[in-house]
Amino acid sequence: CQPLYENHGYVPPADQLAGVQVGKTTRDELDGMIGRPSSSGVLAGSGWYYVQSRWRTYGAFAPKEVDRQVVAISFDGKGVVSDVARYGLDHGEVVTLSRRVTESNIKGIGIVRQLMGSFGRISPDQALGHNDK
Amino acid sequence: EDFRFSAVKIEGNKRIEPATILAYAKVAKGQTVSGDQLNDAYQRLVGSGLFETVDLVPQGGTLVIRVKEYPMVGVVAFEGNRVLKDDAIAKSVKTKPNHVFSPAQVEADANLIAEGYTQAGRINVRVDPKVIRRGDGRVDVAFEIKEGYTSEVHRISFTGNRSYSDFTLRQALSTKQAGILHRLIQSDNFVPDRLEQDKQNLIDFYQSRGYPDAKVTGISSDMARARDGYFVTFNIEEGQQYKFGNITTVSEVPDLNVDEFAPLAKIKTGSVYTPTAIDLAITRMEQLALKKGANFVRVDPRVTRDPATQTLNVQFALVRGPRIFVERIDIKGNTTTLDSVIRREFRTDEGDPFNPREIRNSADRIRALGFFSKADVNTKPGTNPDQVVVDVNVEEQPTGSLTLGASYGAASGFGVLVGVQEDNFLGRGQSLGVQIGTTADNQQSSIDFVEPYFLGRDVKARMHLWYDTTSNDNADYNTRIQGLQPSVEFPVAENSRLEARYAYGKKKLFGVTDYTAASGTTPASGSSPVLSYEQSLGERTASSVGYTYTWDTMTTNLDPRYGYTFKFGQDYYGLGGDVDAISTTALLAAQRKVMHESVRLRAELEGGVITPRSGSDLTILDRFSGYGKVRGFESHGWGPRDVGAPNGDALGGQYFWALRTETEFPIGLPEEYGITGGLFWDTGALWGVSSSERALAMGLDDSDKMHIRSAVGFSFFWRSALGPLRIDFSKAIKKETYDKEQNFDLTISTKF
Amino acid sequence: CGSKKSAEPPMESFTAEQIYHRGEYEMETGNPRRPDEALKYFKGVQQVYPYSQWAKRALIMEAATEHRAKKYEDARSSAQEYLNLYPGDEDAAYAQYLLALTYYDQIDEVGRDQGLTFQALQALRDVIEKYPDSDYARSAMMKFDMAFDHLAAKEMEIGRYYLKRGNYTAAINRFRVVVEQYQTTTQTPEALERLVECYLALGLTDQAQTAGAILGHNFQSSPFYQDAYNRLKNRGLDPEAKGESWLSKVYRQVIKGDQL
Repeated sequence: CQPLYENHGYVPPADQLAGVQVGKTTRDELDGMIGRPSSSGVLAGSGWYYVQSRWRTYGAFAPKEVDRQVVAISFDGKGVVSDVARYGLDHGEVVTLSRRVTESNIKGIGIVRQLMGSFGRISPDQALGHNDK
Repeated sequence: EDFRFSAVKIEGNKRIEPATILAYAKVAKGQTVSGDQLNDAYQRLVGSGLFETVDLVPQGGTLVIRVKEYPMVGVVAFEGNRVLKDDAIAKSVKTKPNHVFSPAQVEADANLIAEGYTQAGRINVRVDPKVIRRGDGRVDVAFEIKEGYTSEVHRISFTGNRSYSDFTLRQALSTKQAGILHRLIQSDNFVPDRLEQDKQNLIDFYQSRGYPDAKVTGISSDMARARDGYFVTFNIEEGQQYKFGNITTVSEVPDLNVDEFAPLAKIKTGSVYTPTAIDLAITRMEQLALKKGANFVRVDPRVTRDPATQTLNVQFALVRGPRIFVERIDIKGNTTTLDSVIRREFRTDEGDPFNPREIRNSADRIRALGFFSKADVNTKPGTNPDQVVVDVNVEEQPTGSLTLGASYGAASGFGVLVGVQEDNFLGRGQSLGVQIGTTADNQQSSIDFVEPYFLGRDVKARMHLWYDTTSNDNADYNTRIQGLQPSVEFPVAENSRLEARYAYGKKKLFGVTDYTAASGTTPASGSSPVLSYEQSLGERTASSVGYTYTWDTMTTNLDPRYGYTFKFGQDYYGLGGDVDAISTTALLAAQRKVMHESVRLRAELEGGVITPRSGSDLTILDRFSGYGKVRGFESHGWGPRDVGAPNGDALGGQYFWALRTETEFPIGLPEEYGITGGLFWDTGALWGVSSSERALAMGLDDSDKMHIRSAVGFSFFWRSALGPLRIDFSKAIKKETYDKEQNFDLTISTKF
Repeated sequence: CGSKKSAEPPMESFTAEQIYHRGEYEMETGNPRRPDEALKYFKGVQQVYPYSQWAKRALIMEAATEHRAKKYEDARSSAQEYLNLYPGDEDAAYAQYLLALTYYDQIDEVGRDQGLTFQALQALRDVIEKYPDSDYARSAMMKFDMAFDHLAAKEMEIGRYYLKRGNYTAAINRFRVVVEQYQTTTQTPEALERLVECYLALGLTDQAQTAGAILGHNFQSSPFYQDAYNRLKNRGLDPEAKGESWLSKVYRQVIKGDQL
């Protein structure tokens, strides 16, 4: 069967990236040039990260990330570009997600009320007792 | 000037506390108070809406606040209303019993009621409120309503319509002339804003038939002399009809090559211009761009007009749109459905490039879930100019249904049917159906569970268990079929999905009365020896593995007017168990909408064959029955039959094919009824019983040769609150003498 | 068939206090789900003796009864009526608190619409600001924090949705919202630990270290810090957080409806 592809995220095309000069371009100029970063670092003023990945799905198997481009632009203290790094899929780690979740202490309405709450649709096919062999 | 009060005295308050009045007045003892501060206090007291009159009287060192409270509202009544019932009006009225009476509110309520009437098409209605003071400071409010008579539209006429008759134009309007049925139909009432909407209907009518410049220059409605209705006239300027000139496509996006996009325009030069043809071309091109993963691509139609030859040349330009990203997807209104069940219908994640076409597709997928009465997806600006927030607003509707039935059969005794069907189990998008029937003669119990996104993947996992028994009340033998079938279904290519399944079941045929020849006065009786033989095989287990490949452009196709579906499935019986055979079925369906999408044509060709491994047997429970293949016949009413046996039992067949063609068209009833008519013609054949069993039969017809049946009929479609209903009246035109017809059938189909 | 109209003498023949106390009696003894009897008397006092002290107390009791019977809309309008008529009264704090409860008690689990949570926060803030020294202010503050925490939990839920699909940047942005705007809630430690996971998955180890450092600095004792620490030192996760066989994963995600 044919694989199905799906793209997520955005990395600026090479021609626009070429315009970024280390040590010259500042953070504000960058904004107009290559667009919104996919996300940035934890602390204010830390690097900008552009990530684009391509996912392939074969039939019933879990979708697999087959290609990832990461462009990491870091800034010095004064907000001038200090480094433009490009990483691929192999640079990342395969991370097992922790199953520990902080439960919210507001439980919401109970199971029975949820079930009862949504009755009311007249199900036509059952009403007529029609179910084919 | 200034005042200094050492004391504040409050007079005339009955229900309202002094502390409350002081809280509003905000005048403290011993504090210097200027003139306008006093005025502010006065305004605040009046503003509270609790007092009929307020006056502040400075008497030397003390400030006297003299108030007269509004009374409480006792009873609120409506008199003289026939068209709108009391509770319908009460809902919009704000004056409520046991609340503070306020004359301004009563005035506002009177207008609300009048407004309610204009919506219902009654414009000359007078509402005047009466206030009745009761002794103990309470007040009753009565709204006297003079509904007068409805004002209908007697005649609708048009000026300037050269190409289309008044009759055809009237079909396009939502306001109808008052005909004989005017008592029933609301749409012939004279409602000003509906006329406004009809102006747009007329323009759309003309534009979709090639008149881009059509205009409605004015609507004149003059009162009939008898003052009971109106004559409405639409003045139209048609302008000229245009045809499509040459259609070109150009790409300003480097990595998209034009030749792939040009054929998608599908507009023939010389065909009549319609805006929908251009929209469909854009849809097709943008979907292809989406598939090729090109971000920020938009298709701009550049239309140039050539009045001399009355043609329009259209150039579809692939342009790179502005670079906008989805900042966040906010989902609101989901009081039952979980956030992830809606979010997973988006192919766009947060942070991805914003693609309006993809967002529209996601909105369709959310609506297709069937959990919401309303699902609006629109965008609003994000925190930065190049960001947008996708806002999803849904309104839940009940998705669970409970069926309770009880039956008492003389032979079968008391029975009960309990059915629960929940399509959005606990808001997780899972569907759970449990049906337990205990009536003795035929019992249908089943459990059906579907998880559409198994482990978060686009894989539909389903578990179906069933336990069905039929008894000889309405057939000449008993059957008991039980089993379970787990299956998974997943996409294998763009428009196609594959279902893989395993089925394990037990089928038992019993209670067959053996054939006894006639002797003396008692006539022959009993069923066909074939059934007796099959009964002797006892309970047979069937363990099979199978698949069904489905290629379907109905849901995801680019052009709503065309749709094709192809299904091909096989089941291999013989993984252990007694049944050892291969069953193959196939279906090809095509559907087309013509005449401005008002008429639907549909054709379905279906076939199936079940061949037992050499030497093994098939029973009537394995062979195909006539159910749902050709309309106009009972499910066991046609196909192979042992006519020699007294009971003349139908035996089902190993081979079948069926061709069903039908059309659906409006029958002139106003749209709000949702009733359309249709014609259909079905033909097909069901045949084939194994040669060894044919030898046993008394007088078997249809066993080896194919006898074609066909039937015609007309049907009514009604999109009712119960769901789409369909009523078929059919007449068999080619049948065997022993067939059993079924001329009337009421079915609920999920969609037409 | 004749309805069992108890041959009760009409209300008018009782004093306001008697009707009120009868209402109170019905409220204490009757079934909380079926408040009609108690409400009949509380409403009766207001109709027959609209200007008495008892009418005022009956109104607040009416709101409390309706709230206890989960008739939230009625309770809300009665509480609002009380606040309109007697804003300065000492029971006004309770009326305002009741108003907040009608929203708070309807807050649903994180997967669902949180519109009521915002309204509850708004109403609870009114209680805290308007009646700071009333004894309801303290429990309003406690409920405010819980509702605020609930909003953070919703952001986390959406973050985990994208994390599980492998869209690490979308997940990062959601977890950063929790770290920046909801830092006082109990969700922050997990948000930081998830950030460590996302940055490691993308290969941005320095950001992962930064997130881990913040987590260690502020939430030393949290189990999430332990997970993040092990992950950064790339020793395996402790079993409780790692998850087990495929079958139990199916059970958790399909039957229990968990995300991960």
